[in-house]
Amino acid sequence: MKRVLLGNEAMAWGILEGGATVVTSYPGTPASEILQTVHLLKEEHRLRIHVEWSVNEKVAFEVALTNSYLGRRSAVAMKQVGLNVALDPLMSAAYTGVKGGFVIISADDPGPYSSQTEQDSRYLASFAKVPVFDPSCPEEAKEMVKRAFELSERYELPVMVRPTSWICHARQGVSLGKIEPVDRSPSFEKAPERWAATPRFRYLLHRELNEKIRDIASRNAPKPIFLSERAELAVIASGVPYAHAHDVIEAMGLEGRVALYKVDLPYPLDHHVEEIVRRYPQTLILEETYPLMELQVGYREGLRGKLDLTVPSEGELTPDEVARILLGLLGGEVPRKEALPGGGRRPSLCPGCPHRATFWAIRKAAPQGIYPSDIGCYTLGVNLKAVDTCLCMGASISQAAGLYHSFRSAGKTPPSIVATIGDSTFFHSGVPALINAVHQGASFVLVILDNGTVAMTGGQPTPATDGPGKRVEIEDLVSACGVDFMRVVDPYRVPELIQTIKEADRFAREGRGVAVVIARAPCLIYGKREREQGEVIIADDCTHCGLCTEKFECPALVKGPEGRPRIDRALCTNCGLCLFVCPQGAIRRVEA
Amino acid sequence: MKLQILLAGRGGEGIIFMTRALTEGLFRCGHPVISTETHGMAMRGGSVISQVKVGGYLSPMIRLGEADLLLATSQEEAERNLPYLRRGGALIVNAPLPGPKYVDATGISHRLGNPRGSNLVLLGYALSRLNPLLSLDPFQDVVAELSPPRYRSGNLRCLEEGWKLGKEQREKDHFLPIFPVAQGP
Repeated sequence: MKRVLLGNEAMAWGILEGGATVVTSYPGTPASEILQTVHLLKEEHRLRIHVEWSVNEKVAFEVALTNSYLGRRSAVAMKQVGLNVALDPLMSAAYTGVKGGFVIISADDPGPYSSQTEQDSRYLASFAKVPVFDPSCPEEAKEMVKRAFELSERYELPVMVRPTSWICHARQGVSLGKIEPVDRSPSFEKAPERWAATPRFRYLLHRELNEKIRDIASRNAPKPIFLSERAELAVIASGVPYAHAHDVIEAMGLEGRVALYKVDLPYPLDHHVEEIVRRYPQTLILEETYPLMELQVGYREGLRGKLDLTVPSEGELTPDEVARILLGLLGGEVPRKEALPGGGRRPSLCPGCPHRATFWAIRKAAPQGIYPSDIGCYTLGVNLKAVDTCLCMGASISQAAGLYHSFRSAGKTPPSIVATIGDSTFFHSGVPALINAVHQGASFVLVILDNGTVAMTGGQPTPATDGPGKRVEIEDLVSACGVDFMRVVDPYRVPELIQTIKEADRFAREGRGVAVVIARAPCLIYGKREREQGEVIIADDCTHCGLCTEKFECPALVKGPEGRPRIDRALCTNCGLCLFVCPQGAIRRVEA
Repeated sequence: MKLQILLAGRGGEGIIFMTRALTEGLFRCGHPVISTETHGMAMRGGSVISQVKVGGYLSPMIRLGEADLLLATSQEEAERNLPYLRRGGALIVNAPLPGPKYVDATGISHRLGNPRGSNLVLLGYALSRLNPLLSLDPFQDVVAELSPPRYRSGNLRCLEEGWKLGKEQREKDHFLPIFPVAQGP
């Protein structure tokens, strides 16, 4: 039976058809729908398995890994930058190995579309010395997850599957198999020389790991797809670039001139690749996003790829680019490089979003401030000029501390520093940063934007959501971190919020420590909020100053002819935040 | 049949819904299909595109100048993505303008009491222009399955109204079906 599935759904099927009994994840585009689907399938098939949205990727990795220590199959899914957070256990788990199959799905984002880097998870697989599969379509991604379980169990080694955005968020008909957990009772065999290895044993484990990788590297020869005796050029490709190469070669009728080989496992790269490179006058390697296969080829004569700049080293590899590269290497006329449609409308916070109110209030309360921020929907606060830095998960708090110490150590008075972080990001990696800031005597304002969910990625739960165990409250964590100033405010009460942030800023600027303001209101999309009564209108005394359309940037406020703002009724939620914004008081609420 | 469709709009306008309905419907008509959609940050009101490819493609991405049909939720998004359209390819835009390539999907969905359903008016209109003409049935089924219960009947009304308008246009002689295309509309 075939069903149309999103790549992420297909991989979820692969995880469950593969028999996993513990599946974990932390949400992140483009990987978020994997665990969401596992959750749904668990309910639908009444599976006795453990599925969790963990607090972060490191924790998710360790929980799932341990189930595989006990001889059972497990999987963990995350986006590529999440793998950075889980790098510590990944490196070590490659040495300890596993008993039951353990599959790591790390989704890359060439482009990037929704990430801070274009990094290649396959590099981290090779860094840790674990094999990595590189699927070229959703259906194959599902099959590779199952193959990864087999490979993992055969070599007692974690195995990675690395999809990219156009696998995760591509849809196609996928053959479905039977979902059934592999019924093995957990058994922990004590083996301290492995599970608790000291450095002396680690050397031995490393040697074993190297032997496993060498063995795998001789069993996965590239598959010939188009073969021709007279080929002038061989293409060795993996992942989505393979799909592009296949279609381009076919569409241009180049099968007689170009040989195409497909690689499923770009690390460890099979030795047979070397023979292909020797056989043809030129060999082109196509892969996303970093040159991983290319670096593993010893014989380099006629080798073309990213290292000799034949293939661009940044951005996603498009079929147009593949066609240009092929024609260039075949000595044909290369079509002019056409620019992809650029520009377009930038994303912005939803109409009625509580974060817009908070950012507005921050700008009002501390107009001269520096605003470190973090990863989430609220990074879009950059449009409102209320986000000055965005580095990685949890960095807003450490960067606020860094700003403070930088000014202080130079003998200067720090300016207002107002950091913003979302609730889930705070749980993910904000807490250690807050402990550190308090303990090191930093003084700044921290606004926790608490909308009760992981909104950007589709509304996943946080530790403060009702779950199988106890709810963990943000207030309890903040006070346990030693914070002396904490207020909880509803951001829709704009004047109160401005007042509170001013108070917090005074506290921080007196050097009394970190002042925390929790701006709490449910996400408009995923939470439940009573709609305000009474329609918001723009009265005739509007002077067309443009403040509401340009500075406040609510998508429901549209600039009409002569700069006159108008309300898009299909978008407006009647939240009334713009009432506080209009300097003329021309935006009003009509009583219902 | 080989067919490449590019859908262009903004996050929140239902581009993903259209993509899903189109992909699933074409699949149920027995066509091999692969499509892409934009998730994540761009969904928050930013410009997004989806790509739907029918007919045994491995690559999910449409090359510049190769789309048979460009379906846009506004004139602005249509113009921006015009480089994707092949010579002789068809353009269908949501705009209250005269001419067979325009359909006032926003106006129609408002009139039908389902302002969020303009994407489905556009979809219905486009479907009626395919050649060979597919049955609307599988698309109605898919839209019904994908819609939350309270939007179900409204969404179906929008899809059917778009389809009906497209069929009326199709019967006029200056109106060419999308595939195969002899010359541009």
